[in-house]
Amino acid sequence: MTKATPQAGRPAAGQQGFHLGADIAAPSGNYRWVKLWGWPIRLMHWLAVGTMVALVVTGLYIGKPYFMAGGDTRDHFLMGWMRFIHFAAAAIFATTAIWRIYWLFAGNRFERLPALFPIRPRDWVNMVKQVKFYAMIEPEKAPHYLGHNPLQQLSYTGVYFLAMVMIVSGFALYGQSDPSGFFYKAFNWVGIVMGGMPVVRFVHHVLTWAFLIFIPMHIYLAVRADVLERGGVISSIFTGGRFVPAKHHFVDGEDLNE
Amino acid sequence: MSFLNPLADESLDERLARQGVSRREFMEYCSALCVVLGVGKKFAPTMAKALQTPQRPPVIWLQLQECTGCVESVLRTAEPTVGDLVLDVISLDYSHALMAGAGHAVEKALHDSMTANAGKYVLLVTGSVPLAENGVYTVIGGRTAKDILEEAGKGAAAVIAVGACAHFGSVQAARPNPTGAVGVADIIKDKPVVNIAGCPPIGDVVTATVVHFLTFGRLPDVDPVGRPLFAYGARIHDQCPRRANFDAGQFVEKFDDEAARKGWCLYHVGCKGPATFSPCPIFQWNTRTSWPIGAGHPCIGCTEPHFWDTMTPFYGRLPDVGGFGIEERVDVLGAALAIGATAGVVAHAAATGVHQMREKNRQLPVVDGPSQGGTPNK
Repeated sequence: MTKATPQAGRPAAGQQGFHLGADIAAPSGNYRWVKLWGWPIRLMHWLAVGTMVALVVTGLYIGKPYFMAGGDTRDHFLMGWMRFIHFAAAAIFATTAIWRIYWLFAGNRFERLPALFPIRPRDWVNMVKQVKFYAMIEPEKAPHYLGHNPLQQLSYTGVYFLAMVMIVSGFALYGQSDPSGFFYKAFNWVGIVMGGMPVVRFVHHVLTWAFLIFIPMHIYLAVRADVLERGGVISSIFTGGRFVPAKHHFVDGEDLNE
Repeated sequence: MSFLNPLADESLDERLARQGVSRREFMEYCSALCVVLGVGKKFAPTMAKALQTPQRPPVIWLQLQECTGCVESVLRTAEPTVGDLVLDVISLDYSHALMAGAGHAVEKALHDSMTANAGKYVLLVTGSVPLAENGVYTVIGGRTAKDILEEAGKGAAAVIAVGACAHFGSVQAARPNPTGAVGVADIIKDKPVVNIAGCPPIGDVVTATVVHFLTFGRLPDVDPVGRPLFAYGARIHDQCPRRANFDAGQFVEKFDDEAARKGWCLYHVGCKGPATFSPCPIFQWNTRTSWPIGAGHPCIGCTEPHFWDTMTPFYGRLPDVGGFGIEERVDVLGAALAIGATAGVVAHAAATGVHQMREKNRQLPVVDGPSQGGTPNK
């Protein structure tokens, strides 16, 4: 396959009308594999997945103990273990956050700080088109992105922000047990800023649900994109890259085809 | 001049002897108080000397906008302790609840004491200071609480704010705070104010703070909201006798359930121990008879600033949100949104499928022969 005949061998059905997804994946000659995510990002993603599950399960228990241990007190350490797992998972989660912050400066152009804020005028225009795509109104006009589209990116940036609030409020609550310790001194300001520790506890509790709302949408949209585009987008969080049709113009792919 | 103690002229030794307290018991008390203050037993002799010195600084106790509960807490004990006797011999020159005199005579006594002991007396304050309407909500002897406090604060060697009212205004400062009540530290800004937090605070903490000042000539170290660290340095949760039940996952769900009878953890029914710094589990009340959690009631967080607003509802785990009553429903709402998001996702997936099928059906008629080459299965 040469660039001169990009259409050769494509199933004609692909040229008829508009399909959200191709009936049959085009030959790989018309696809190229683009590397998007470095291994640190992928590792962070999966560490976040694991720790988030642990944090949500144990966190909801800590917030409202939904089952109890009967019998002799000395035979049980239920809340103790819940809190231990919560704090241990939180430590890993916070470590990935620190790592992510470093990678905002060390990563590639899809991973770096500017990529987190798609707020140029062009991005807003494309965001509207993207909303229409998801609403299945003129979906064929949706712009193509190699990395995240602006709508997607803003939701991820929002989750990063949520994670920061969770980490900071979590450490503020954690520090309470030892007022002479590091975490109390380093995060005591949080309670003052938010208006008291009960408010911190409330915020920390409520934002759990924000994650639980995000997760199903995130998984669904990833699966949907993979089903429709047949580019292996889910694979990209394992392998770091995905297949994209060579004929598409990518908003963020200026330097892809040289 | 002392209205409280006609016997104030007798020395502490004489007074202790008269009450049947031996020198050994007095020294034990000093040692214990040194431990309470976290300064080490080696300071016990220093403390004993300071308490026995005849020139003890006079104490002026102002009662402003308050309910007298703090005075009750400090003084109401089933039997007098050594600490009470020590406090008794402090030259308490002015106290609404305790002095026998009244009217212009005591106001004169107050001024005489403040003038004679300018820069030397200890100022204890209970009650908040209402600022709304020029302070008309508390007027004593024709003067507003703010006036009285400002005047008394000028000559004070140390200012000790006793109770939640003097700390931040307590219940009268709760939203919407109709009287504009504020704490002592909001009025006296040119000298440090120690807050003996609590509604009411534990009497022993007041005694210990006064004795700390008498012994060392300065107020104890405080935390960011002005509470002495020796008493308010740890959470109730971390000193609680029911902590084992918390760690084990054993909780009271209703006040009349089996768990309540067994004395399990009150976390589930709104205990604010995990957010409250106070020595209640250790010091307790009424000569160490009991304390709220010991009596089966959840902590309401009364030593924390603005607890009427931030710690309510007292029987719920999470704070109230703007009168919306969402506190208990937040999990229901969160779960509903999460389930809604999942349902929306499923619906969107279905819509995507329908869209796909419609597109496919629409284009079937226009698919002509040659273009079918690539799709032999059609």
